Amino acid sequence: MTAAIRTESVTKIFSNHVKALSDVSITIERGEFVALVGRSGSGKSTLMNILGGLDSPSSGSVFFDDMPVDYRNRSNLINLRRRQVGFIFQMFNLIPSLNALENVAYPLLFNYTPKNERNEKAMQLLSLVGLSDRADHLPHQLSGGEQQRVAIARALVADSRVVLADEPTGNLDSKMSAEIYQLMRKVNRERGVTFLVVTHERDLASYCDRTIELRDGMVVS
Amino acid sequence: MIGREVDFIKLSARQLMTKRLRVALTVVGIAIGVAAVIGIVALGDGIRYQAIETIKAQSDLTLIEVHPKTSEGVTQFITDAGLERLRSTPHVVAVAPVFSDSYTTKRQTFLPVLAVRAEEIDRVVHLRYTEGRPFSPGKMEVVFGSALRDRLQRNEGIRMGDNFTALVREYDEQGMPHDKQVSLILVGALGDRDDQFDRIVLLDMATAADIRGTGQQYDKAFIRVDEVDAVFSVVDQVTAQGLEAAGAFEQIRTVNQFMDAILIVFMLFAAFALVVGGLMITTTMITSVYERTREIGISMAIGASENDVVRMVLYECLLIGIIGGIVGVAFGYIFTVVMNTVGKPFIISRLGTEFSSLFGSEIAKLSPEMMIAGLVIAVVFSLAAGIYPAVKAARMNPVDAIRGFM
Repeated sequence: MTAAIRTESVTKIFSNHVKALSDVSITIERGEFVALVGRSGSGKSTLMNILGGLDSPSSGSVFFDDMPVDYRNRSNLINLRRRQVGFIFQMFNLIPSLNALENVAYPLLFNYTPKNERNEKAMQLLSLVGLSDRADHLPHQLSGGEQQRVAIARALVADSRVVLADEPTGNLDSKMSAEIYQLMRKVNRERGVTFLVVTHERDLASYCDRTIELRDGMVVS
Repeated sequence: MIGREVDFIKLSARQLMTKRLRVALTVVGIAIGVAAVIGIVALGDGIRYQAIETIKAQSDLTLIEVHPKTSEGVTQFITDAGLERLRSTPHVVAVAPVFSDSYTTKRQTFLPVLAVRAEEIDRVVHLRYTEGRPFSPGKMEVVFGSALRDRLQRNEGIRMGDNFTALVREYDEQGMPHDKQVSLILVGALGDRDDQFDRIVLLDMATAADIRGTGQQYDKAFIRVDEVDAVFSVVDQVTAQGLEAAGAFEQIRTVNQFMDAILIVFMLFAAFALVVGGLMITTTMITSVYERTREIGISMAIGASENDVVRMVLYECLLIGIIGGIVGVAFGYIFTVVMNTVGKPFIISRLGTEFSSLFGSEIAKLSPEMMIAGLVIAVVFSLAAGIYPAVKAARMNPVDAIRGFM
């Protein structure tokens, strides 16, 4: 079975000699829903950035579907971000001047999808996350939970097989957080999309298939 | 592909709409620069045009005078071979070499003599006779310019058809002067011309040479050119032969040099306005990029390449440039209208009645080319102003940008 994500001895040392990741080797199978936990400063975000092609490891390798990521090749990284990985951040990660539909369609603008197709696809995903009646609302007209649902739709719009979510419920109350997790789980189950979700809330980790814990840049479990 | 660019432009337009006041002020900034540039050029062109039209109306522009020229001790004379070359130059209608001499009347009135060949000089200067007829070649017949004729008639009673005696001063071997008496007949008088021909005596070249008894060098030649626009190329031909060209065209040259010099200085000030407008765009865009740090970081995370980010910023500048250019051209147009209605009477009152011909025409001329140029200048300045913010935006580290750090 090919793994959706595999890392081999990924180490990240920042220019200020801080060792953020040390020899991290993890494997996430296709269709898994994995929580990444750890205290702040444990290297969770660094690992997410490396997996998402926003940062590069100091040493070690990363594989998506057994294909190695070439971190020295810019267009390879851009392609990774455009087609293979969807991102969900904490709050305020929508473009304020675009409405919900346009926000969902936004990533498709960068991978040369024609406008009709973009809107059609974005609409499908908005109804998947239950917001088809909010398509023309601007982000500030949506609740925090609704904004995060738009972000989930956006992460899926380019048909990415992997979604990286960095504390997606960090700014939401527990009821809304649960809703978001349920939605992500539903997408994971129905569409077979692999999820790696950073969280520091232990009870939310219970929604996940398994948990990877980082401590001081090392995998502890 | 084009559809994608259109989408990017629409996106940029949306971004501009979210900060209307700031964009409007920036647009006014670049528009003032454009208006200053095209307003100055329009005014300069209008004044230049009027000055040249005035010269054209008041002087005989297609007449060129050729003189021998001495440089570094060597004199280039007017030769028959040189004249032949000038005759075959395009746009040259006729060439008339002449030489000058001077006689006096018995009462010591100075007679500046222009020795010419009748058919040649007539083709060049189109002599108009108010009285009498042209001289016949080889005869001792003369024609007076209008002023000279009036003077001699009044002071010495020389009338049409009269024989009169002219004194030609000669020097013997010892250098002693003595005057030779020559009998001449006045056969014609020229009309008023307001030029050198008013004060001269026209005489057949062969006759004049006979009177002097020696061969004479041409000391001047007149050239008639068929159109005003060809004058300067003929002048170039003359100077290429080492000769000197003179005539009313020099006034145009002076006007052009003067206007060019003034325009360069004025344009410099207008360029300052443009640069200030450009800096306003840079400031606006830097602020905008700074405010949208997170947004740009997120865009990069979800697939925007550095090129895409540069493009998005530059498209905003392009839009500001286009709007600024249009508004600037409109300002420039308003400026020319104001100049032509309010400014013109003021300028004419300063210049005096000689320039009253300006009343009928436009003192500031805004050509379609100038309008297009204004638009292009605005766009080029706006894009140039956007390069730094665009590159700054694209160079942002997405990881930091998403967290809100530049």
